[in-house]
Amino acid sequence: MELTDADLVARVLVDEDQHAFSELVRRHQSSVRGLLRQLTRTDFALADDLAQDAFLRAYKHIRSFRGEARFSTWLYRIAYNVFREDARRRKELVGIDEDAVEAEADPQTVDAGLRHDLMHALSLLPLHERSAILLCCQNGLSHDEAARVLDIPLGTVKTNVLRGREKLKRTLAAWQTN
Amino acid sequence: MDETNEMDLLDRQLREATPYLDDDGFTGRVLQKLPVRRPRLQAFRASILLGAAVIASMVAYLLSDEGRFVSEGMVRMAGMSPLMILSLAMIIGILVMVGGVAAAISRDRGLRILG
Repeated sequence: MELTDADLVARVLVDEDQHAFSELVRRHQSSVRGLLRQLTRTDFALADDLAQDAFLRAYKHIRSFRGEARFSTWLYRIAYNVFREDARRRKELVGIDEDAVEAEADPQTVDAGLRHDLMHALSLLPLHERSAILLCCQNGLSHDEAARVLDIPLGTVKTNVLRGREKLKRTLAAWQTN
Repeated sequence: MDETNEMDLLDRQLREATPYLDDDGFTGRVLQKLPVRRPRLQAFRASILLGAAVIASMVAYLLSDEGRFVSEGMVRMAGMSPLMILSLAMIIGILVMVGGVAAAISRDRGLRILG
């Protein structure tokens, strides 16, 4: 029988079992790295560094996981916080402005193929809408879980998902027309 | 296509557009950076328990007139009927079993809290 995430967490807590933790990393690395790749606008190297940092932080603070939420939700919250801290640091260091990057993105450079179009359209969304769409629509979190991960009110998550979807639809429709 | 179906389709496309990322050594790199386990701490804890048990035994031995209660106990047990000794063994066995079950239940509850 395959061990659940909670079983593995318990092993890490009780025996400091690093094999159990490596199984948790193996299980969740794809979704966490995928989420961070989208949040960092497909900067793969940066996303993997942040994912590594998120898993290390999860190991260090695993005692604070109380099992009230799914382990993946708890992990997404850490990953999102790591991303935000890094984004804040970069903004302070080199003055990267999220909105300015959005304005610079050019829809005309989109390659063919729905997958690529979708990912590109997603990357054009503002961070708050992109995060909500990524968590709820792509990773299957409930609005409530996403609110916990993003640390914002439930109503705001719902609004961001709705607006994000509308924008995605409009962008994709415009590209199809062109 | 109505609004809900359109949204469901978009969600499905978004999910399908996300490929599974192969590990490619990612887990190994994370493990390399994990803090080194501290077996010394566990050994230290075990040695404290062992030391405390030895000291407690020595104190008990000295306070009981150099363990006279042990030889007296043996003499008393030798005078017991076989049925009495059997009953005593059973009671001790049951107590040990209850202790084991209680420990197992407590560990199980700890795991459930996490789940």
